[in-house]
Amino acid sequence: MNLRIAWRNIWRNKKRTLITISSITLAVVMAVFTRSFQEGTYAKMIENAVGKFTGYVQVHQKDYWDDKTIDNGIEVNDTLVREILSVKNVEGVNLRLESFSLASFGNSTKGTLVMGIDPEKETQMLDLKAKMIKGNYIRPGDRSIILGSKLADYLKIDVGDTLVLLGQGHWGQSAIGAFPVKGILKMPAPDIDRQIVFMPLMLAREFFSFENGVTSLVVISEESDQAQKITDAINASIDTTQYKAITWQEMSPEMLQQIEGDKVGGIFMIAILYMIIAFGVFGTVLMMTEERKREFAVMVAIGMQKTKLMLVSFYETILMNSIGIILGVIITVPLIIYFNIYPIEMSGEAAESIEKLGVEPVLPTILRLSIFINNIIIILVITGISSIYPLISLLRLKVIRSLRR
Amino acid sequence: MKTVIETKNLYKTYTETEVEVKAVNGIDLSFAEGEFAAIVGPSGCGKTTLLNLLGGLDEPTSGSVIIDGTDISTLSSRQMIDFRMNNIGFVFQAYNLIPVLTARENAEFIMHLQNRPKAEREARITELFKAIGIEGKEDIRPSRLSGGQQQRVAVARALASKPKFILADEPTANLDSHATTELLDIMRKLNEEENVTFIFATHDQRVIDRAKRVVYLEDGKVIRDKTEK
Repeated sequence: MNLRIAWRNIWRNKKRTLITISSITLAVVMAVFTRSFQEGTYAKMIENAVGKFTGYVQVHQKDYWDDKTIDNGIEVNDTLVREILSVKNVEGVNLRLESFSLASFGNSTKGTLVMGIDPEKETQMLDLKAKMIKGNYIRPGDRSIILGSKLADYLKIDVGDTLVLLGQGHWGQSAIGAFPVKGILKMPAPDIDRQIVFMPLMLAREFFSFENGVTSLVVISEESDQAQKITDAINASIDTTQYKAITWQEMSPEMLQQIEGDKVGGIFMIAILYMIIAFGVFGTVLMMTEERKREFAVMVAIGMQKTKLMLVSFYETILMNSIGIILGVIITVPLIIYFNIYPIEMSGEAAESIEKLGVEPVLPTILRLSIFINNIIIILVITGISSIYPLISLLRLKVIRSLRR
Repeated sequence: MKTVIETKNLYKTYTETEVEVKAVNGIDLSFAEGEFAAIVGPSGCGKTTLLNLLGGLDEPTSGSVIIDGTDISTLSSRQMIDFRMNNIGFVFQAYNLIPVLTARENAEFIMHLQNRPKAEREARITELFKAIGIEGKEDIRPSRLSGGQQQRVAVARALASKPKFILADEPTANLDSHATTELLDIMRKLNEEENVTFIFATHDQRVIDRAKRVVYLEDGKVIRDKTEK
């Protein structure tokens, strides 16, 4: 009966109820959509620059991250790899040897990041095969290289040409070599695409004169959100006097800072939106209560407890919220899916600033249940708070005075 | 006959303005089971205040109201609401039906609050609707009923839970003479058939003429109490 009264009550003033429901729907759409864009962009940034490149956790010689020279690389051994693999949620380890070299072709020269990789194992991580736009992917025994498309454009080098690399090898030895270009690939992060040269790990070790050498052991795990736990567990099982595991947050503090800063800005905007909605709901519930005081007084007079009246009023708020939230979800889900499949492509200065972070200048959304749940809880809480005063006024209802209205 | 309601040295003084107003000024009254009584008097004589005190809607300044042996001043606010639900029926001047409920739902509202079984509710409402002569309008909301029909539904609501007595404050004030006559006929019939006590606050002569007992108030005091022989 209480629920029936509440349901019919909210439709007594259809226009007002529809406006209130619309404002709640709008809040859900705006909040969830904005947060989905934010989180989608962050996820893309992290995936581009972390998930598909550095990995969420890496193990190095303990001083390597502060001083990234090849001399701080390590001669990898089975024990270290075994210890890392023994940690829960670790699915594999990719070995990389990387250092900077000067690349030259024709009259063009450019500083590059030369990365020795296991071409087969990195298929899972870097997924380089899928990024090939010209030529062929390298195999473990090859003596050729593949390079980023922007670097190739800069050097005006093509598949079949030979790239000269000049750098410094292990312990000050010269690293000089000429390598045929087997293929050109397009890395999603433009900054990386502009400077990357991949070669098989064995070839890199030979080029840098570093037998069994690696600079990074990239930890493979599907549990990207468990990075800190995995890092702690690895550090607990390896010899930390020699090695150190670090998370992507430590590897890319600028990105973390950018994300956190942006997140605060976004949340502030949504908070303002929530405040407006809260006042809207407060106004509606207060009006609905005030204009029916006489009716409520009659109900109390004939035997309805005030707590039951409060329950009816509470149901009214819940019903309006639920309709608003359900409509909001129905509208938002397809929008999020659409913009996830067809992300907004940025242009101009905004695109350039994003590219500088090594991220594709696109704004994808992400369909994440937690975004819906969090925002729905927030809306329920603020509308719940908004209806406290009207509910309390019911508890203080003076029957005689209200009957005289 | 058994006394259902009794007042002892009842006072209600309003001190909200600078002038103290004694709306009820030492009233001793009792009403027995099955009475059909009218409290009458000029505007401001204290009729409505007395009715509110009898119904436990207002608290006396001093004195007591005893309903079926219970001094209602000893009840807490929650207990008083439950007491009203189980013992007192109300009929208001402006009908005061719940606009979002149908005639039937309005009439069975108190029985709902009392958690009475559906079968019992349906049987009682069917019986009452037949008695008040608005069969066929059970599923209509109050806004589509005439004033007289709304007041009849209000009477059905007041009677549905079989209270000890019914308090009716100017129940005919908004009705035309035809609707008034019909309503009074119905109430009188129910009074006789169900032996339920009706107490009216009114200055409508048509009500006064039909009352078996008339209590005259002036300045908050009973100046005459006349019972039909």
